[in-house]
Amino acid sequence: MMLDRHAAKQLKTLASLFLALGLAACAGPRETYVVLPDAGGQAGALTVTPKAGKPLQLSGAYANAQGGADGAQTGKLSEQEIKAAFAEAMSARPESPQRFTLYFLEGRDELTVDSKKEMDKVLAEVRRRPAPDVIVVGHTDRVGSLADNDRLALRRAERLRSELLKQGLPGDSVQAAGRGEREPLVATTDEVAEPRNRRVEMLVR
Amino acid sequence: MQDGKPEGEITLNKSYFRLAAGLGGAVLLCAAASAFAQAAVWVGQIKVSRGIVVLERGGQKLPGMVGVRLKENDVILTEANGSAGLMFNDNSTLSLGPNAEVVLERYAYDSTTYLGAFDAFVKRGAVSIEAGNLANAQPEAVRVKTPQAELKGQARSFAVNVEGK
Repeated sequence: MMLDRHAAKQLKTLASLFLALGLAACAGPRETYVVLPDAGGQAGALTVTPKAGKPLQLSGAYANAQGGADGAQTGKLSEQEIKAAFAEAMSARPESPQRFTLYFLEGRDELTVDSKKEMDKVLAEVRRRPAPDVIVVGHTDRVGSLADNDRLALRRAERLRSELLKQGLPGDSVQAAGRGEREPLVATTDEVAEPRNRRVEMLVR
Repeated sequence: MQDGKPEGEITLNKSYFRLAAGLGGAVLLCAAASAFAQAAVWVGQIKVSRGIVVLERGGQKLPGMVGVRLKENDVILTEANGSAGLMFNDNSTLSLGPNAEVVLERYAYDSTTYLGAFDAFVKRGAVSIEAGNLANAQPEAVRVKTPQAELKGQARSFAVNVEGK
């Protein structure tokens, strides 16, 4: 009697193990979806639309869901479990781009004395990165015509681009563009001389 | 290869590195010859590459080294010891852990208006995504597909794990 009950219990355990294995095989690859906080610590909402079943809305940092051939369900992974599961992917994230703003003498493509020193920092950052590329965008203040300022803005950007090429950056790793007086840092009326708007913005990536 | 015999592994790695060295030279030459023509086609760059990372382009396998430029329809694969970090023209990033495979199905970006679209297919592996300027113009411009689902939303940063078959 006792023996029979024990054997039955074992059989039941074995059966449920097989069932679990069988179901896992049927479900195919399992998937996990997670909302992460962005660089500013904010986390938005993510809609997961599975091929089978209803869409799920994930809201806030570390909200997560699991999915498979049978649809998606809200998950219960903790922040620690998520960080562990994605540790290698997250450690391979490229470094954030670094932004520099350099200022120019009025009406010219010549850097101010202070910004010449800032350019050394740009070059140091470029050298520090394993595969750098740089986006260079030139701007002007509102003295002069729109067309003249478009040309001056591009000349400023091209001047710094050639500085970077001289340092050995390949030509296709530096993009230069001019925005003229269209995107001032400080809003002014037309024909106002504003040193803070005579600038080039550089994004080292 | 499948059963992971040590001798098999070593042979594979050696020939891979020979291939890598040869192809690296060829890739550099090609890049220099058509830098201007390709500049507009490139959508991103491999910024981080650890272990074995492979770039599949038009059926050809290339070493996924740091600095390699990416195009639409490229496939990035990482081996068991590999991980990779990609940065796209709009500053969006996508990074892969080991044993991962991602197809860059669509990438379009206008650097003046920030308009465009980015669709990536995560076939397997752990992948994290951070949306860049594309999401400033349209919050749902960066989308990720997996074998079982599609993801999009206002979240700028999210991650997906597709367990192997």
